[in-house]
Amino acid sequence: MGQVLVLGLISGGIYALFALGVVMVHRGTGVLTFANGEVGTAGLFLAALLVDGWTIPVPFIDNPTLPALPWALGALAAVAFAALLGCLFEVLVVRRMGVSDPVAVAVATVGLALFLLASELQIFGESPKELAAPVTGGPTIFGVIVTPTQIAGLLLAIALGFGLQAVLRRTDFGLGILAAAQDPAAVRLVGVPLSRISLTIWGAGAALAAIAALLVEPTVGILYPGYASELYVVGLAAAVIGGLNSLPGAVVGGCVLGIAQSAATRYLSDLHLPGLHFVVVLVVLLVVMLGRQLLPELIKRMDTAPSRAAEVSA
Amino acid sequence: MTTPLLEVRDITAGFGATTVLHGVSFDVPQGSIAGIFGLNGAGKSVTMKVLGGSVPARSGSVHFRGQDITKLSPEKRVAMGMGHVPQGRQVFPGLTVEENLRLGAYTLRRKDKKRYGPALNGVFDRFPILAQRRGQLAGTMSGGQQASLAVGRALINEPDLILVDEPSAGLSPVATLELDEVLQAVAHTGVTMVLVEQNIAFGLSLVDTAHLMQTGTVVHSGPVGELDDQTLATHLGIGRVLQAAAGSALAARQAPPVKKGSRARRPA
Repeated sequence: MGQVLVLGLISGGIYALFALGVVMVHRGTGVLTFANGEVGTAGLFLAALLVDGWTIPVPFIDNPTLPALPWALGALAAVAFAALLGCLFEVLVVRRMGVSDPVAVAVATVGLALFLLASELQIFGESPKELAAPVTGGPTIFGVIVTPTQIAGLLLAIALGFGLQAVLRRTDFGLGILAAAQDPAAVRLVGVPLSRISLTIWGAGAALAAIAALLVEPTVGILYPGYASELYVVGLAAAVIGGLNSLPGAVVGGCVLGIAQSAATRYLSDLHLPGLHFVVVLVVLLVVMLGRQLLPELIKRMDTAPSRAAEVSA
Repeated sequence: MTTPLLEVRDITAGFGATTVLHGVSFDVPQGSIAGIFGLNGAGKSVTMKVLGGSVPARSGSVHFRGQDITKLSPEKRVAMGMGHVPQGRQVFPGLTVEENLRLGAYTLRRKDKKRYGPALNGVFDRFPILAQRRGQLAGTMSGGQQASLAVGRALINEPDLILVDEPSAGLSPVATLELDEVLQAVAHTGVTMVLVEQNIAFGLSLVDTAHLMQTGTVVHSGPVGELDDQTLATHLGIGRVLQAAAGSALAARQAPPVKKGSRARRPA
């Protein structure tokens, strides 16, 4: 049971980081973004280029080899690159779509994901690559060796989930983000720079995806085009479970899904079900959504039952 | 002759292939209250949106405090001293009353955070209901209370000019009376105001100058004291009942001599 919990929280932390990016963008713009998984992957490829000193195909230059940088610098460049991609998408696409329906912008994010996927395949090919882990080893908890990047993923998710929530409520810019999703036109009429808010949100969501991709890569051990998008889908589900607008909810949603997947792997692996991880996500999502619909009705019935009983006895 | 606070010159504006405003011009002197009246589709709200910067002018110019603001964004106009009470009030329903007010003071807090406390207290003194409900979500308040919040949110930034768009729309008669008191109180502060109002009797009771619009142009401009019900009927085509109501509002306004810039004639 302890093992299930530890393994679940390790992957839950990563899902939570992806989910935080989903919630940030949705809370500030009302848009559900599908691009950030691939944005995170693109950042990770850049980190791998810089850290491993890869030889990259550049026109007119014979086998240019990049100097190998420390992991931390590569990671920093990956996060900055992902944030830049998010900001560019906001300026070049979201802003030009004006007051379009959030669904239309969501479809545009699918376009960005496909564009990045195609670019990665074109530049790096299909075969998996490796990025050396920044540190190895770590403490053993319930028989599971937990690496520093896994611990960092979970702690960062919890800190960001509750920290960003406080920032949103306690700063003027944070309140502007909350208000922007409720009424973007009115936000401009009180003097809040909507374009800066939108830029920050898209940049922050993309940066969070890159952080998540960087922290999960040492656990998986390889990276390939589309790699983080598979995890991002679970992050999307975690955000939905958390209510889509709650940052702490996204962290809880991520951990719930992580633990559910870990439990399924532990107790249902003998069934040899294909895609068990995603079936678990679907089941948890259905249970939570149905529970959310049925629970208020159940509570209402329980509240009215004693009063009816009193009426009958009277 | 002093420069008007707001100068609107030959504005044309519209959406796509449709042109809604065809050369709108008027001035708003400092400390006065200007009313824009007209039937549905006359272009009143589009005029307000052009003044606020949310709809671009295709031609013409808007000058505020002598500066050309025609191309400026709504945020920059707010930073220059423009406040808004938008149509439908547009308070942020998921934020508390105090958070709405804090957001209203966004540019004030960026200029000088120390001024926020006294400004907030000033709004709470003027609208005690907002102080009582400072922790309540704005979306759970009544229409009249939301109107107070929208006005308070505009005032907290200490603007020189407030654009008030259809404030009585969707309000009950009781809430409209409350709003009348609120706007009368705002008028006493000496702030310049541009008011668009469908309820002509209500609007005429507030303004100094009336600009009557028809199909995207201003067809009559002048002090309310010189406006008679026949002019209203001619330019707005209002029916007998409305004409009588507007006429009685005019009679009430015309009884004491109209003195520009003076708010003392109005009951507080």
